[in-house]
Amino acid sequence: MNTLLPNGFSDLEQFAEWALPTSTDRNRKRRASSMDAINAFYNAMRPRLEEILAYLDQFSLQEMPQDAQRLLFLSLSLAEVTIAVELFHEPRVTGGCDPERFVVAREITP
Amino acid sequence: MKTVMADRRWIKEHPDLGTGPVPTDTCTSPELFELERERIFRRTWLNLGREEDLPEPGSYVVRELAVANASVLLVRGKDRKVRAFHNICVHRGNRLVDGEKGVCKGRFVCRFHSWAYDTSGQLTWVSDEANFYDLDKGVLGLKPIAADIWEGFIFINLDPNPSETLAEYMAGMVQQIHGYPFAQQRLLCRYRVEERANWKVILDAQNEVYHLPFLHITYPDFCPMNEHKFSRIQKFTRFGRHTVYSVELNTDHKMKPVESIAINANPRGGQVHPSMIGWFDFYTVFPNFCMLFLAGTYVTYNIWPLAVDRSIWEVSMYHPATEKPSERFAQEYSRCLLRDLLQEDASNHEAIQASLMSGALSHFQLQDEEIQIRHFHKEVRRHIFGEENGAAAIGNNRDAAELRLK
Repeated sequence: MNTLLPNGFSDLEQFAEWALPTSTDRNRKRRASSMDAINAFYNAMRPRLEEILAYLDQFSLQEMPQDAQRLLFLSLSLAEVTIAVELFHEPRVTGGCDPERFVVAREITP
Repeated sequence: MKTVMADRRWIKEHPDLGTGPVPTDTCTSPELFELERERIFRRTWLNLGREEDLPEPGSYVVRELAVANASVLLVRGKDRKVRAFHNICVHRGNRLVDGEKGVCKGRFVCRFHSWAYDTSGQLTWVSDEANFYDLDKGVLGLKPIAADIWEGFIFINLDPNPSETLAEYMAGMVQQIHGYPFAQQRLLCRYRVEERANWKVILDAQNEVYHLPFLHITYPDFCPMNEHKFSRIQKFTRFGRHTVYSVELNTDHKMKPVESIAINANPRGGQVHPSMIGWFDFYTVFPNFCMLFLAGTYVTYNIWPLAVDRSIWEVSMYHPATEKPSERFAQEYSRCLLRDLLQEDASNHEAIQASLMSGALSHFQLQDEEIQIRHFHKEVRRHIFGEENGAAAIGNNRDAAELRLK
């Protein structure tokens, strides 16, 4: 798997496994991860987030170099895990239904 | 702040809705479910999606409406007009189109005997036609269903002779929402959730904000609250069968770090359109369609009954179309947040249904901030029991079983 990120973001390459293209995969990854792993990812991404978004905004969603697209997928995974970190303090939705029952019928990618 | 925090406000504006408990029987009785099937779902205008679902001439969508035992074919003709038909070959009744959606390049062909129809429903080909008797292709064609479009939303009515046009049915909502920039919004995602819950249990649970600080305890300050930390809506409005409740922005909401970056990355997502009443407007379009305008975004629910205790909850999230990655990030945050909060709701719907099925609870107790639910159940009962009996069943708190015998 190619894990390369754009220049200046190589320190985040250790989190390449979070660079997942679909919402379903990002949600499954969150639920399969420990809170320690989620916090490590969140804590590494959060201070860089504004810089990441400014970098990505050089491109349009449909025309991105692959390394930038991986960085985009990392940021979308951050959106996913943020709910676990900032709301529930655990990977799953406390008291929620089985998330697999929210079947994605349509979605935009990326 | 526009929101009035006083208790018992809405009953003063809507005294006809009464203050008594509301019967639970329509959520559990198979007999009443049959009445809903006949008197609501076969007689009212039902939303089946948006025009963008049918982007080009020949685009079609097939929707299975279990509640009406109907398979509905929506298709955009060569003349760009959207039509609805029963998805049935008129020869001997085979299902005409399989699959959920597609583009019909030429004709719809029945796989049974190869009868063919064009996208306007005309029967254009009958194999071995000369061997039939008095068959007139010109008058056969697919069985049409009344269909119309409002602000890009496609509605059908299974009544062969609808008593109202869609515009009449929508009542004053048409003026309220007029001008909202639906065309600038794009479907971000659609979830389909099958639940062991009556369709009204799902709808009721969304049709108030009383529960927000309790059930959604990790996100407790969505709404303005009174001094006792109980939520208060800004306005409740009725449009015939339909309602909207509006919520003002809670400027006391405490933002978390990434949430704050997401909100700032998405200025369009925060823009309140002039057609909106509050910062959050929740429309219940009778019977099973909800539109939630949340600042610069909107969400729809289509809640489809499968049986008295089973439904499909379709959640569609629309955001301003964008090619900008930072805006896309903000939209993803918003999507994940809402999805997770709705998973709390879904779990709750099923717990409620399981309890109701015990038969131990004959009535719901509703407070002033749940007046939306009071209106909705009154409308359900008015449709299934008739004008006079429907009102009586709520207002005088009479047992519906007694009314059914009449």
